[in-house]
Amino acid sequence: MLTVALFAPLLGALPLALNSRWSAAQARWIAVVASGASLLALALAWLTFDPAGPLFQHIDEVEWVPSLGMAYRVGVDGIALAVATMSAVLFVAAVVYPFDTGGDARQYYAWLLFLHGVSLGVFLALDLLMFYVCFDLTLVGMYFLIGRWGHGDPQLAAFKFFLYTFAGSLALLLGIIGLYLALETPTFDMRAIIEQQPLAGRGTYASLVFLAMMVGLAVKTPLVPVHTWLPQAHVDAPGPASAILAGVLLKMGTYGMIRLPLAMLGETFSRFALPVAVLALVAILYGALVALGQTNLKRRIAYTSINHMGYTVLGIAVAASLIGGHDEARRLALTGATVEMVAHGLITGSLFLISGSLWQRTGDYAMARYGGLARRAPQLTALTVLAAFASLGMPGLAGFVAEFQVFTGTFAVYPWLAVLGVLGIVITAALFLDLLWRLFFGRLPEHLAHFPDLNRIEIGVLGVLALGVVAIGVAPHFLLEVVEASASLLSGGR
Amino acid sequence: MTLWAVPLTPWLLALLLYGAGRRLGPLALGLSAGGALLLTLVVTGLSLNTGVAASYRWSESLTLGLERSMAGDIFAWLVPLVALPVVLYATVHVSQAPCRLVTLLLAFVGAMQLLVLASDLLTLLVAWELVGACSWGLILHRWQEEGIPSQAMQALLVIRLGDLGLYIAAAALFAGTGGFGYAALGGLSGGLLHVAVAGIVLAAAAKSAQLPFSAWLFAAMAGPVPASALLHSATMAAAGTFLLARLAPQLEQAAWFSPLVIFLGLATALAGGLVSSCQGHTKRLLAASTSAQYGLMWVAVGAGFPGVALLHAVTHACLKAGLFLVAGLAERRVDSYRLADMRLGRQLPGVAGASLVLCLALAGVAPLGAAWSKEQIASAAVDISPWLALFVAIAGGLSALYATRFQRLAFGRSPRRLVSGRPPAWGERISLAGLALATLMLSLLWWRPFSESIAADLGVVLPREHAWLMVVSLALVALGIGMGLWLTRGSPREAEPAWQPVLADWFGLPTLHRGVGLGVMRFARALARFDDRVFDLPLTRLAQGVSAGASGLARGDDALLAAPINQLAKGIHATARGLAHGDDQVVDSGLMIAARCAQWLADVNTRRGEWLTDGLPSALAQGVEAGGRWARATQSGQTHHYYTAMAAGLGTFFLLLLIGASM
Repeated sequence: MLTVALFAPLLGALPLALNSRWSAAQARWIAVVASGASLLALALAWLTFDPAGPLFQHIDEVEWVPSLGMAYRVGVDGIALAVATMSAVLFVAAVVYPFDTGGDARQYYAWLLFLHGVSLGVFLALDLLMFYVCFDLTLVGMYFLIGRWGHGDPQLAAFKFFLYTFAGSLALLLGIIGLYLALETPTFDMRAIIEQQPLAGRGTYASLVFLAMMVGLAVKTPLVPVHTWLPQAHVDAPGPASAILAGVLLKMGTYGMIRLPLAMLGETFSRFALPVAVLALVAILYGALVALGQTNLKRRIAYTSINHMGYTVLGIAVAASLIGGHDEARRLALTGATVEMVAHGLITGSLFLISGSLWQRTGDYAMARYGGLARRAPQLTALTVLAAFASLGMPGLAGFVAEFQVFTGTFAVYPWLAVLGVLGIVITAALFLDLLWRLFFGRLPEHLAHFPDLNRIEIGVLGVLALGVVAIGVAPHFLLEVVEASASLLSGGR
Repeated sequence: MTLWAVPLTPWLLALLLYGAGRRLGPLALGLSAGGALLLTLVVTGLSLNTGVAASYRWSESLTLGLERSMAGDIFAWLVPLVALPVVLYATVHVSQAPCRLVTLLLAFVGAMQLLVLASDLLTLLVAWELVGACSWGLILHRWQEEGIPSQAMQALLVIRLGDLGLYIAAAALFAGTGGFGYAALGGLSGGLLHVAVAGIVLAAAAKSAQLPFSAWLFAAMAGPVPASALLHSATMAAAGTFLLARLAPQLEQAAWFSPLVIFLGLATALAGGLVSSCQGHTKRLLAASTSAQYGLMWVAVGAGFPGVALLHAVTHACLKAGLFLVAGLAERRVDSYRLADMRLGRQLPGVAGASLVLCLALAGVAPLGAAWSKEQIASAAVDISPWLALFVAIAGGLSALYATRFQRLAFGRSPRRLVSGRPPAWGERISLAGLALATLMLSLLWWRPFSESIAADLGVVLPREHAWLMVVSLALVALGIGMGLWLTRGSPREAEPAWQPVLADWFGLPTLHRGVGLGVMRFARALARFDDRVFDLPLTRLAQGVSAGASGLARGDDALLAAPINQLAKGIHATARGLAHGDDQVVDSGLMIAARCAQWLADVNTRRGEWLTDGLPSALAQGVEAGGRWARATQSGQTHHYYTAMAAGLGTFFLLLLIGASM
């Protein structure tokens, strides 16, 4: 099932890349079918996932180089399943969302499908090497999407993005090699490594491996101060690619933190839990404040991503702190961190799709040049208000379920961090209310007098994402049940 | 019927109304909105009678819960009852997008019902924030106008700052007990208890517009009149006081809770009274009065009589909702909220009459219900200290002062005759009359058997009454009315003293809030620049540098590395050409000579040996060709040709034999 989910988009990308006869509409249909098949497979995997079962389920395994312990291995726990399914939803949304491909529709959809496949590879891999390879291949896909279909100075943005995150990947690779060398029987099988905990009690060496991994993952997340590739990449990226970048690629950083350091280096992580939590707090407050200071719509949303990923990292750090007597709180924090990943993907994905729609209509991201759109575009206004309120953590929407759990879990372990971190939601509220005000309320400037509202496809895509946000906000049981099972296995005292 | 029906009914009806309501006229909209609230009331009655508690599971750790309680029951009835006239009024009064307004008001009612029935801090927090979001939508109703979005934002931000208190309280409760239920609050102790209580008081103070958060109510005045009417009476501002009253037994575990609440409440009551007495804007006057009245309720909670606070909330809700409706009608007449422009007694006699009843109640004049509940608060305060009771009475005197001022300035008699503006519509009259009538009926509370039976039914503990306090209190009310009349004698003064606007503006509190907001904004901008310059610029430079370096290297590559190779290549090329040339000169000439020799030989050969070398083979070839042609010609497929040929062949054969034999 997972193999289908992984290879359907890759197989779809292949003919698109090779066959030059298809029209833009045909290319898009092929992409929709390939993406949709992948999502369907994941939905099926979700339905047959047993929360009471073992940590990893739906395992597919094909030996490749047994002597080195390399194999094609895929499988999911609740956390991977939640994040992968969210990613697939977002990819389908990005494929369906109308975008002016500038005549290269075939190549655009081929790259999107390629990115879809390798992104799922990151979340579904149970093999360390496969994880790393997919982790790096996503950079390639995103590089071409930004560089070829971006605006502004896309070459530079794509180059900076690639350079920065690739440097991060190399640090991660060092960490992975360090971990591999410490194994008694060489294997890249994540399950075996999690079982072995090879670096427990190995002092400096373990710390170095941990730090290398964390640096690599922190760049991808991104945490302050290694975050600055993000805003530029977002501003110059096309709307759907931005949605993928924020919704899926950033998650690889935090998902990696759960899968590698938290699961495999638990003891080492616990020694560094407090510094990581403090860094996360800095990201929360700094990201929110810098976002508030932006006048460019996309930069503002981009910086809120740093704020939200800060919540996720805070939750992970709390889960990693093996402080006794707080098992339930740590499980809550990890569940919250995962829900934050899913919620942020859906919410920020919609916000970036919306900003893509604005760009297609006006070619402008300066908030000062907007205003009063609520009359011209009521549908756009309604969907943006919903996404903005979800992002600022309004109850009844997905963001609240995540942030509430992260704060509550954190408070039990690091009360001061929680008290300071909760200030972030006021700043986030301020920056989103300000954004809504500048775009939709007040006077309508003359050059927007003929601003068209969203078309049916846009409403459909954003509506489905909004539905997901509301469903998680009102009845999150279906998600929490799956995530919590794995969270308690991962965070419960080892 | 489950308790969930209580909040869900207005929400579902709001959705339905929004879907269908845009096509409805004002009458149909009013009827359906009224019907929706009546249905809500019926459902509330049924649910409260049948259900005691309900819960909804989110996950292993998170469960939403509802539960009946004394305070919850009172509010679950009060909210839709007050909302009914307000919503009816809204459908007639508001011309711009009434459907959206009514929908939001219904959603607001639903959120408030969830808030008052919540049995744990998680559910409370959900409702608490939803109420704030609804009020943002309501304040933003006229979003096209300059300034309104920023006011809505300011209001929501101050409220959200208070909400943080609930986040922290919920987290502290979870850290201490592993759950969120109100009942678990009793099990908290030590630092976590203090944190939780402080968080709850913070949240309540922000919602109920107590000091230092009072100013958001002024920002909220940017909303339409019906929104203000509901915000100030039974929802939003009432939520803070409700929460303190609901949780008073648990909160009192913290020793500092009662003194703090009394101090905040009394300070707000006195300050709000002064602000209100100086205000010249009808809605702001009423807004400051709201803060002051909730301040009095806080004193009651602090004094240990939460039930008394709830009763005052009920009497206050009826009169304050009514007074906002009055302010809206007066504004329709003169197109302004400035008291100095009004004195509409002649133009709006009916409204003036209703307003008089409501103002007398606000002033605390004896036979009206609000006066009774205010006296109860004063009596409750005596148990703490007679001085506290005296201060409560003084705050009551201030209420009398500003209530008188409001009534006299808004509906005093003036010789002016206005022709502009429209008279109140039927819907507006009925709504206002309903609220005035309710206020009048609450006078029954002065009838001791009635009030005692009500208190017994609800489980409210009433304080002992003190005759001396009653006398002092009524004297202060009389004094307040007298001062109010004295201040409003003659025509409104043109020049007001310099301190008055400052005082009227909450001693500059909104300016302080704005200042904090601007400060944060400036800090954020500076941080954004810092981020660009310090974190990002080196990186961008690096990327540009690497990019430029790469192209530089490419150029350098051309100049330094490639050039020698190019030269080498050119050299090799030249050498090759030279060699080729030399080749031509030296080697080739030899070859040429040889070739020429060969040519010569060939020529000779051609000329001399032609007959030998060429002539023979070509003659042979011609002979063979001719023979072939002949042979082909013979293969005609006709039998007689073959016979002829065979005969000729045999003839030739014998001829050759004959020649051979003869040689």
